[in-house]
Amino acid sequence: MVLLEVDGLKTYFKTQEGTLKAVDGISFNLEKGQAMGLAGESGCGKTTAALSIMKLLPANGFIAGGSINFMNQDMSKVTGDRLRAIRWRDISIIFQGAMNALNPVKRVGDQIVEPILLHEKVDEAVALKRVKELFELVGINPNRIREYPHEFSGGMRQRVMIAMALACRPKLVICDEPTTALDVMIQAQILQLLKNLQQELELAMIIISHDLSVLAETCDLLSIMYAGKIVERASAVEVFSNPQHPYTKGLIAAFPNIKGERKMPASIAGNPPNLINPPVGCRFADRCYMTQDVCRQDEPPLIEVLPGHFAACHFVKPRGV
Amino acid sequence: MPKELLVVDDLQVWFPVRRGFVESLTSKEQRFVKAVDGVTFNIKEREIFCLVGESGCGKTTTGKAILRLVEPTGGNVRYYGTGLNATMMKEAIERAVSKKMISKKEAEEALSTGAIDVRRLPKDKMKMLRQKMQMIFQDPYESLNPKQSIYDIVAEPLVVNNLGANEADREKRVAKALDDAGLRPPKHFMWRYPHEVSGGQRQRVGIAGALVLEPAFLVADEPVSMLDVSIRSEILKLMLDLRDKKGLTYLFITHDLSVAYVFSDRIGIMYLGKIVELGPTEEVIKKPMHPYTKALISVVPKPDPRMKTEKIILKGERPDPAHIPPGCRFHPRCPYAMEKCKIEEPEAIYVSQEHWVSCWLAAGEGKTE
Repeated sequence: MVLLEVDGLKTYFKTQEGTLKAVDGISFNLEKGQAMGLAGESGCGKTTAALSIMKLLPANGFIAGGSINFMNQDMSKVTGDRLRAIRWRDISIIFQGAMNALNPVKRVGDQIVEPILLHEKVDEAVALKRVKELFELVGINPNRIREYPHEFSGGMRQRVMIAMALACRPKLVICDEPTTALDVMIQAQILQLLKNLQQELELAMIIISHDLSVLAETCDLLSIMYAGKIVERASAVEVFSNPQHPYTKGLIAAFPNIKGERKMPASIAGNPPNLINPPVGCRFADRCYMTQDVCRQDEPPLIEVLPGHFAACHFVKPRGV
Repeated sequence: MPKELLVVDDLQVWFPVRRGFVESLTSKEQRFVKAVDGVTFNIKEREIFCLVGESGCGKTTTGKAILRLVEPTGGNVRYYGTGLNATMMKEAIERAVSKKMISKKEAEEALSTGAIDVRRLPKDKMKMLRQKMQMIFQDPYESLNPKQSIYDIVAEPLVVNNLGANEADREKRVAKALDDAGLRPPKHFMWRYPHEVSGGQRQRVGIAGALVLEPAFLVADEPVSMLDVSIRSEILKLMLDLRDKKGLTYLFITHDLSVAYVFSDRIGIMYLGKIVELGPTEEVIKKPMHPYTKALISVVPKPDPRMKTEKIILKGERPDPAHIPPGCRFHPRCPYAMEKCKIEEPEAIYVSQEHWVSCWLAAGEGKTE
């Protein structure tokens, strides 16, 4: 069952210098219980893509094209109360720097009770009981629901945020850089928790991170974004074992591997293009080691290289599809 | 065998815990947050020594205490830099003598190649020594003044230290530092503002600001953790290049073991204000001895979903440096903790010539199985 269908999504921002094409035509499907990773450098549009799905764009952002279908409803037509009903009940989000997203003057329990009471016809006692269950689920002592955010450490606060995201039993959870501000040890705890929850509750998840190694540990599917476009999409194992796009290859090579040989990882020279006036042709052309004239003239389409494995590069030829 | 450049001996940095009025009346004992609690290591010339640990383990405080950006509470830091003989340093000391900031004798002492006791140096001489010992900060988005041009940012250390004969000379030095930091051509960057350049270039500006005084020793505090992965290794390569060209020595502070693995010569693993394991990088990563090191290595995310490795996920979070547990400070989280660990603190035990670990298991007590 397809839960989320994003087709040709374009999200632009109006700025003083012109229209910034943050997300410029991305498509993907997500089924129930699937975890997809969205990877890319900062400024490639991964967070914007997520915010577009929840319709949480800032005032100067707008969806310029494409469609988002969530549970067979066209999200562009969902507004007002219906949108409010979907947010958090069906789709929830764990924000970047979630540790600072909690209200410092409200008890954590009350903060989680709030969305439950808003979305479901239950009384406070039932909601509080649910919060205790949620705390247990994410590995916090249920007796701590009357504490304030400052009494929790960073990792614990992140767990509170996860509990909050799960409060109304959503079908899709978007995690925006869920572990970026955390220590390696806490990161490992949180990633394991997310993975267990995803499998136990059959959650669909979109995990956004610039850290491919984090995604490698948690996701079934991977989409690599570059300058507002998805340049490669496949299962996580496929992406790592058989990367097709030169950008993906570069990203993978950029990671030092503690289990591998002790050598300095490669880097990708240059900077991503300006998205107000994106270059014609392939957007990666300026940083690519195999650029030819064709790359600067035509934009490569996202083609199916192998079954279920898509890449957008002129030098990738379909095999066995 | 290369000479030692810096010897840190039993360094301590304690911060007093502020007491409330009632507490001060009841005259309870003054408590301390022991951020750094007896750290001992040395750094050889042209070496990259890496301190690794979780946040709050005291690695940054150690780096700052060496430069006396925070005052150490105890212990010694000795600096054997021959860099002090450089003409620039001489120039600065001569100026100080002429201004009667220091006596001739003191100046001679500072100029000699012998050890300089960093901790006991008076403030004004510390300022001069700091020209040879510089720091690169973590966050290139916050550490650069947005209202200053890149020239002003990089020239600031020259202004502060009263170096450079005139504006033209300063400009020359700034241009050279920018060029060394890989911002080429320097003219192109000098008059821009931080917001006009990318994150990687900002970090290069930070490095140029450290290089402009031509230091011999650099403390690099998480210089790449805020950068995108695709440009991290460029900055690391730049730092390696600078070592080769200028003979720099680094104290590299990071929480990322995989970066430490590819970049450093020796690693010290810090836990709660103390180094628990220290040795050559390859040896520490491939043959870790301390349970904490083992756990840290096991949780580094691998950039490959096909590699499933056993993870040692430690329960709980790091304890509070204001309440350091007795005995081995790691015992509450250690999967192999024994009775002895709760009482007695383990000494450093050498497992090979340069590789030591402080753990009772390495001393042959108990079993890891």
